Amino acid sequence: MTDTTTEQPPVLRTRSVVGLAVCVVTALVGIFLIPTLQEPGGGLNVRFWTMAALELLAMGGVVYFVLNLHEEPN
Amino acid sequence: MDPIALQAGYDLLGDGRPETLWLGIGTLLMLIGTFYFIVKGWGVTDKEAREYYSITILVPGIASAAYLSMFFGIGLTEVQVGSEMLDIYYARYADWLFTTPLLLLDLALLAKVDRVSIGTLVGVDALMIVTGLIGALSHTPLARYTWWLFSTICMIVVLYFLATSLRAAAKERGPEVASTFNTLTALVLVLWTAYPILWIVGTEGAGVVGLGIETLLFMVLDVTAKVGFGFILLRSRAILGDTQAPEPSAGADAQAAD
Repeated sequence: MTDTTTEQPPVLRTRSVVGLAVCVVTALVGIFLIPTLQEPGGGLNVRFWTMAALELLAMGGVVYFVLNLHEEPN
Repeated sequence: MDPIALQAGYDLLGDGRPETLWLGIGTLLMLIGTFYFIVKGWGVTDKEAREYYSITILVPGIASAAYLSMFFGIGLTEVQVGSEMLDIYYARYADWLFTTPLLLLDLALLAKVDRVSIGTLVGVDALMIVTGLIGALSHTPLARYTWWLFSTICMIVVLYFLATSLRAAAKERGPEVASTFNTLTALVLVLWTAYPILWIVGTEGAGVVGLGIETLLFMVLDVTAKVGFGFILLRSRAILGDTQAPEPSAGADAQAAD
């Protein structure tokens, strides 16, 4: 017997999709913008830690939003 | 042929950096991988497969951006170690900080482990990269090797966790998942082990290998560990959710009907 029930594709959670996009932008800012910023003191440490923090934030965001990518079924 | 091309690459930008050849090739290969995964994943509706595609597209995507930044000399700095000035591409660490936890997330999703395990794995991995970066920017050999050792121990913990807990969890999900997981874990074990070895023999460590060769080898490792990994993962049926796996689900349904 053929199963005639049609399954709805899972619904993407808009907030998670937007969150992923924001994470990508954050990661790109960390890679391209932060190293080019000129600091008054000329120190490397602030740039390096800011870059690392942004990449960590972006990565953490991707993990969170991928784990919550779809609407929970009712 | 210019001897420098044999030794270290080719200075594509004319700024005295022969390694730009390898950085340019790395950018292109990562971009090709990203677009291949996007095309392959376009229109996928399976819930689990979408998660794998999201992660696997982002990994070479961000890596291509990091390679492009290194190609143009952004994220390149000089660090004084003793009386010597070393060129350090610290954008490489930004790439690894973002991408290596996501590769582990792919494996964790495949093994279907709980979120605490995912958090632990991702946390230790991030610690591995951050301590590696601190080592790369340290000014004394003792500090550099100490941070390298710390970072390598973190890597061993991650690899041990993969080869034991996650492997056992993947095995419980059936032969298809176990087979894909074992292939990917073997790839990760071999490639990731090569990174600290290359670091210690490269310019950031003992300096046995020059910057050009080091950049080439890191590029080969990065492309294989990201694009190669994604290629193996996304061509496997193991990434499909339980509702999409044809034979096992049909069999399970029949058993349930009995």
